[in-house]
Amino acid sequence: MVIRPTTSRNLSRLLRIPTQCRSSSQSSSVNAAEVSHFNNLASTWWDPYGSSRLLHQMNPLRHDFISSCIESQPDPTSSTNRRYLDVGCGGGIFAESAARLLWTKSVVGVDPSSQVISVAKAHARQDPLLLEPGRLEYQNKAVEDLPIPRIPEEQFDVVSLFEVIEHINRPAPFLSSCLPFVKPGGWLILSTIARTWTSWLTTNVVAEEVVRLVPRGTHDWSKYINEQELRRFFRAQDGWGRDGGLKSQGCMYMPAVGWRMVPGGEKWGNYFLGVRKDSTRS
Amino acid sequence: MIGRGFPKAPRSYICPSCSRSFKLQSRRHATAASPDVYDVVCVGGGPAGLSLLTALRSSKATSHLRLALIESQDLERARTWNLPPDQFSYRTSSLTPSSLSFLSQIGAWPNVDTSRVQPYRHMRVWDGLSSNSRISFDALTSEPPIASMTENQNLSRALITSLDDLPIISLFDKTSVADIHLGPPLSFPAESPTSLDLSSYPHVTLSSNHTIAARLLVGADGVNSPVRTFAGISTRGWDYDRHGVVATLKLPPGTGHSRENPQRVTAYQRFLPSGPIAFLALPGDYATLVWTTTPPQATRLKALSTEDFVAMVNAAFRLDVVDLNYMFTLDSGQVDELEWRESVHPGNKADLGGETPQHIASVQEGSIASFPLRLRHASTYTTNRVALIGDAAHTIHPLAGQGLNMGLADSRSLASAVEHAVLHGADIGNEIACLDRYNEEMWMSNNRMLGAVDKLHWLYSATSGPVVGLRGLGLRTVDALGPVKGWFMRQAGAL
Repeated sequence: MVIRPTTSRNLSRLLRIPTQCRSSSQSSSVNAAEVSHFNNLASTWWDPYGSSRLLHQMNPLRHDFISSCIESQPDPTSSTNRRYLDVGCGGGIFAESAARLLWTKSVVGVDPSSQVISVAKAHARQDPLLLEPGRLEYQNKAVEDLPIPRIPEEQFDVVSLFEVIEHINRPAPFLSSCLPFVKPGGWLILSTIARTWTSWLTTNVVAEEVVRLVPRGTHDWSKYINEQELRRFFRAQDGWGRDGGLKSQGCMYMPAVGWRMVPGGEKWGNYFLGVRKDSTRS
Repeated sequence: MIGRGFPKAPRSYICPSCSRSFKLQSRRHATAASPDVYDVVCVGGGPAGLSLLTALRSSKATSHLRLALIESQDLERARTWNLPPDQFSYRTSSLTPSSLSFLSQIGAWPNVDTSRVQPYRHMRVWDGLSSNSRISFDALTSEPPIASMTENQNLSRALITSLDDLPIISLFDKTSVADIHLGPPLSFPAESPTSLDLSSYPHVTLSSNHTIAARLLVGADGVNSPVRTFAGISTRGWDYDRHGVVATLKLPPGTGHSRENPQRVTAYQRFLPSGPIAFLALPGDYATLVWTTTPPQATRLKALSTEDFVAMVNAAFRLDVVDLNYMFTLDSGQVDELEWRESVHPGNKADLGGETPQHIASVQEGSIASFPLRLRHASTYTTNRVALIGDAAHTIHPLAGQGLNMGLADSRSLASAVEHAVLHGADIGNEIACLDRYNEEMWMSNNRMLGAVDKLHWLYSATSGPVVGLRGLGLRTVDALGPVKGWFMRQAGAL
């Protein structure tokens, strides 16, 4: 069932090109109410039976999707010694796991919530591997407040935004400010939820109200973005997504089974999307 | 498939990244309190523990993990175990095809001395009270066999040899566990914002007074598992008030299972009211006996002379239960008693064209032993940074020969959960990111197996009344119904 909501507000805000200067966090895309919501959730971030259980269970799929993107390109140049930037890293579920992979060189995690960054830093101390200098670094910042890389060596093979853009006020400028951090040939990877009646029912009503899998107020359905809208946004970007460098994949949580990739799910539920910055060489 | 970019696994046993962080750590805590941190510490070097470590070492994804084994016995004795071809250990197991495929996959099966292994392709099971109920499990095709009788020490030696050929692990043998505790809580405020926090890591203090910390502590430490006690995991179950009497049987020369004619090799099991008696072929003119009976009868059997013991075993496969019970009341003279009773009922004398095992000739000296039978099941196999495998997780009645196979299946499942975790960057001690996968895969299926075997035991301990008639009907029905028999065989052969 695919119902296309008619709110043109989301469309127009997606297509708007950012004009503000990027240096102050006042102009950041970050929503103060969202930051405070996640500050309150910080203490339960690593509780295996807490509210982040679904995110923990989803994490392997994130790596599977990234691998499928990198392996799909003709020259997987960035397959070893990868550098990751995890935007909206939260308590570090993805950032820690990326830092542990044998093919990872370094991971930088950023999040505007100071509490979740403290939780992330404290949790990383439980693993001697993650304390190795340069392997995993957290910064309590919005991505707009990071210095823009000047040379490819400062850029990242993978810039990830997992379950982030649905919490952002103006996704278009936010996405635009993430683009410069991707190395030529590298990938911007995100996951979010399509804005359909199915997702409204499952995430806002069932997950938050009925079975209480997720704390109330975690999701704002009107901020959800559809896969087609993102595709249009990235197609409009020069130097992105050439030669099959734009991929998406639906996924779904099934009670008693867990998260599974679901072909076609990107049209109506949770989905991953990956877009590759064109290689400068070709 | 593993990603194309997967780097070649380092051949050293300490991954470079770990060793770097250890140096870092020892700089920070130059004083006492910095234990060696291992990725996996396995307590117990039986088949379950050894196969887990071999599986982790032989998989490309997990070969870099830092592994330690703690075993109270001297592993050198297991490594150099050797018996002449005319002697067999009484500690044998019936390895299922899926156990064999796991052992092959981790490279251990080629190290098993297969001249001491006896595959069997047929199985005959019947009820001691109701002569109608006879079920024969014939493998549908000749390959693979239903199972393969293997001495546990033959398997252990093969696993240790396989581990010796792989990059080295830290071996603490002849070493017992003195204490297990969690790491110290972090001092607050912390000395440094980046100091290591091992408060969630189990720390194992060895009898040598050395302490090591585990990212994942594996309890392969048997029925009275100290690891399970440390983790506070409860078990439920009961004692059967039965003992398993085991022995290595010798057959008359030339009547055994020649390797030239393996198709006819059959396992026999007769359900007597006190418990089943099983005859399991070994190579040549040998077989293993597993006789489940009451503790007084087990004591009586062990006190008999070798000749009288042999007569009791031959009687138990042939005579009526009443006759057998009478023979148990005699202090000696079972040989003559059996001869007389078989002469009265000539039908009992014949081996019924392979319907009962051949008469045994004698028992290997010193091979009679017994052990109490229990059912135990841990309420869960995992908690944070702890996993239980093998007998530490479950103890089963031996009537279906599943104990060792279940332990090997645990190892395979846990190794595969660890591999999945490593490939996805998870902390292998974390429940949600790694261990839940193992617990969810094995707990339920093991619980089903424990329950099914337990019900078989109670079903066959009834001596009279409708249940005897019903079970006769039940077994005949099973024998007639191909698909149900298939299910039975899958339980027996393909755990």
